[in-house]
Amino acid sequence: MSKSFLEQAGKTVLLMGNEAVARGAVEAGISFASAYPGTPSTEIVETLARYANVLGIHVEWSTNEKVAFEAAYGAAMSGVRALACMKHVGLNVAADPFMSSGYTGVRGGFVIVTADDVGMWSSQNEQDNRWYGLHAFIPVFEPYSPAEAKELTKEIFDFSEKFEHPVILRTTTRISHARGPVRLGELKKPVEGEFVKDAKRWVLVPAHARKLRLKLLERWRRIEEAVNDFPFNRIENPGSKKVIVACGITYGHVVDVLKEVDRLDEVTVLKISSTVPVPRKLVVEAVKDAEEVLVVEELEPVVEEKIKAILQEEGITVKVHGKDLVPREGELTLNRVAETLVKFLNIPKESIPWLGNSQEVSIEVPPRPATLCPGCPHRATFFALKKAVSKLKMKPVYLGDIGCYTLGVNPPYRVQDTCIEMGGSIGAANGLTVTTRQPMIAIIGDSTFFHAGIPPLINAVYNNTPFLTIILDNRITAMTGHQPHPGTGITASGEPAKIIRPENIAKSIGIEYVDVVNPFKLNEAAEKIAEALKFVEEKRKPAVIVSLRKCALLVISDARRKNIKIPVYRVDLEKCTACTRCYNVFACPAIQVLEDGKAYIDPMLCAGCGDCAQVCPVQAIEPTIKPGKEWEELWW
Amino acid sequence: MNRRYKNVLAVGVGGQGLITFGRVLAEAAILNGTRVLTAEVHGLAQRGGSVVTHIRLGDVESPLIPLNGAHVIVSMELLEAARYINYANKETLLILNRRLIRPNIPGVKMPKINKVIEKIKSSGLKTVVLDADKLAEEAGSYVSANMVMLGALLGSKIVDEFVKLKNVEQVVSKMPEPWREINMKALKLGFSSYMKHEKET
Repeated sequence: MSKSFLEQAGKTVLLMGNEAVARGAVEAGISFASAYPGTPSTEIVETLARYANVLGIHVEWSTNEKVAFEAAYGAAMSGVRALACMKHVGLNVAADPFMSSGYTGVRGGFVIVTADDVGMWSSQNEQDNRWYGLHAFIPVFEPYSPAEAKELTKEIFDFSEKFEHPVILRTTTRISHARGPVRLGELKKPVEGEFVKDAKRWVLVPAHARKLRLKLLERWRRIEEAVNDFPFNRIENPGSKKVIVACGITYGHVVDVLKEVDRLDEVTVLKISSTVPVPRKLVVEAVKDAEEVLVVEELEPVVEEKIKAILQEEGITVKVHGKDLVPREGELTLNRVAETLVKFLNIPKESIPWLGNSQEVSIEVPPRPATLCPGCPHRATFFALKKAVSKLKMKPVYLGDIGCYTLGVNPPYRVQDTCIEMGGSIGAANGLTVTTRQPMIAIIGDSTFFHAGIPPLINAVYNNTPFLTIILDNRITAMTGHQPHPGTGITASGEPAKIIRPENIAKSIGIEYVDVVNPFKLNEAAEKIAEALKFVEEKRKPAVIVSLRKCALLVISDARRKNIKIPVYRVDLEKCTACTRCYNVFACPAIQVLEDGKAYIDPMLCAGCGDCAQVCPVQAIEPTIKPGKEWEELWW
Repeated sequence: MNRRYKNVLAVGVGGQGLITFGRVLAEAAILNGTRVLTAEVHGLAQRGGSVVTHIRLGDVESPLIPLNGAHVIVSMELLEAARYINYANKETLLILNRRLIRPNIPGVKMPKINKVIEKIKSSGLKTVVLDADKLAEEAGSYVSANMVMLGALLGSKIVDEFVKLKNVEQVVSKMPEPWREINMKALKLGFSSYMKHEKET
């Protein structure tokens, strides 16, 4: 994380897009920020959390996006400025209060960040959340660079407060995780709010909601008018026959390509930051001399369709290109934008040197999928689980979920037969158990369990649906970079917090078989999982196993901080028979393969978990130093 | 139009310090008054997978380097250099760490290290190979291999117009100990080892 975040006003520093959004929010004077972590949005609230105490603002990791949204919405009801951040699919979770927020509006500025993962770098889909803006009558603003992300965030807090209406800041991976120079402005102090009772506004019973809907539509008309003068929308080089409409991130790509072909002065560019609603007057003005228009936007034709509608309503006939030339799936790279622009502008492909053929190397490069880290307790749980299942000669279906453990889909484990959305493992098990004779095993991480796993587990108790749920408890939200959650014992800003244990939740809702296992005792864990599976089969009731061991990455950083030596393991090459079990069946990435097929443990990568020593059939693997008590304790 | 910029593509395996590589280079560029944009990938893609960081210095508006458009590819691992060779054109300089990391796939067939180097060199591109892990250990920790590679990039002078060794040293000098000292050494070792290579060839 950048230390430049709190530098003084007037300085230009390097910030990641997410840090820039956080800085913009502080310059706008927020009093409240909340989020559930999710790539690519995480670093916004992570940055704010780090400085929460210095800045005097409340920053929290909420249990899920719905709660994060409601909490920030509540804060904005009281008149303070509030920020709620989530990844694109997080807004699905928050959709219920989101739809209501348009009706009631807010008193303090309320910015909802949706960080869309175009290209699906770390997500299950690439939904375009600009549709949500249209759906809920909530305007959507998009920056094109980290510097603009900071300024835009600040500006739309004013916009939101002026209209007493929530607004969306939509970023994409190449904004969120891009870095660039940002000129810092003055920080603004947070304020205290007060809830003013007004049932006709805040109580959405039908009689109130009908009136609020009329007010919403009236507000929307005013917002549609206001975006024509929004300072981040503009027409560059007006009056050309060719007009390019660039939305959000694509503005940077378009200008970059136009510079490359030296056509910056020959084309009109309509830069749109308010992609919902599209600024009607600017569109009409931009196309007044145009023969052809090209809309360059990622994913869905949200702006394209609106521009076509506007031109039709205004009686303007001009050819509008969009998704006929611009790919609809995946990220727009410079190559894709350049290929589109050379077609649209009728310029030879050769004028862009890099649009030719790429270099090649005549060697087969094996893929390198992401993998569970050395020492990852999930690998141990999966190994024990497969052992238990094989002992019982069962053929279960493994219902997976969202987290590092989704990587269990890959060989050799293949213990994720589904992965749908947060909490979907236990949810889908409720149906699959009833409609098939196959045993179902739901596998879910601790943070995902707190997020959306509890209601479907209650459902299983209520309807007495017999399946096993394995909660992989590593005490942290690991995949997004180790954010604390309700089971960690610490808040976002570092205050001590109550620890909520998943096994206590399971017991309290009436699960009769609950067991906590240590996955690093591979045989014992396998036996305990087998017992639980037998219980489900014989008693026809749901059961829960909590597999508890800390994330290895945390343990290693704790060890470094506390100066505890990691007991890395080594292979005795005299004893090793090259059976391949440790690197092909257990598949720890710290174990490399020597030319004769024998194993070699890379001491730079080994996390000292000792699982491989248990897996080795000939006891060829041993620790270089004896693991002490304080080392063992780091894993709890 | 005389457009001046340089595209640096840094590739390797998640965990090798590519995000830090990009951040330090970009912060140094800002100290030198240079415009810079970078793009990186976090989250799932980082867990030991193949990773790539784009760093663009100079007159640029987009954070992404086009295929065929890298002026230099810095690779922390050889298979990744081969994987991302489609970002290179005939003029591209390759600076490679002499290291192979086995992808964690059961039964994966691994080529020999010399074979990979030979194949990459047969592309005809100017290629410099150094043992960054070894040099990093010499500097004090294998973790600093990324700083060795950054030193080598600066030693090539390819980005000299936009960022210099002294700017990077200024950034590193703000790091806490022991990293300040180790990374300083690593940078210098990378820098001089590139220069040495230049002299020999």
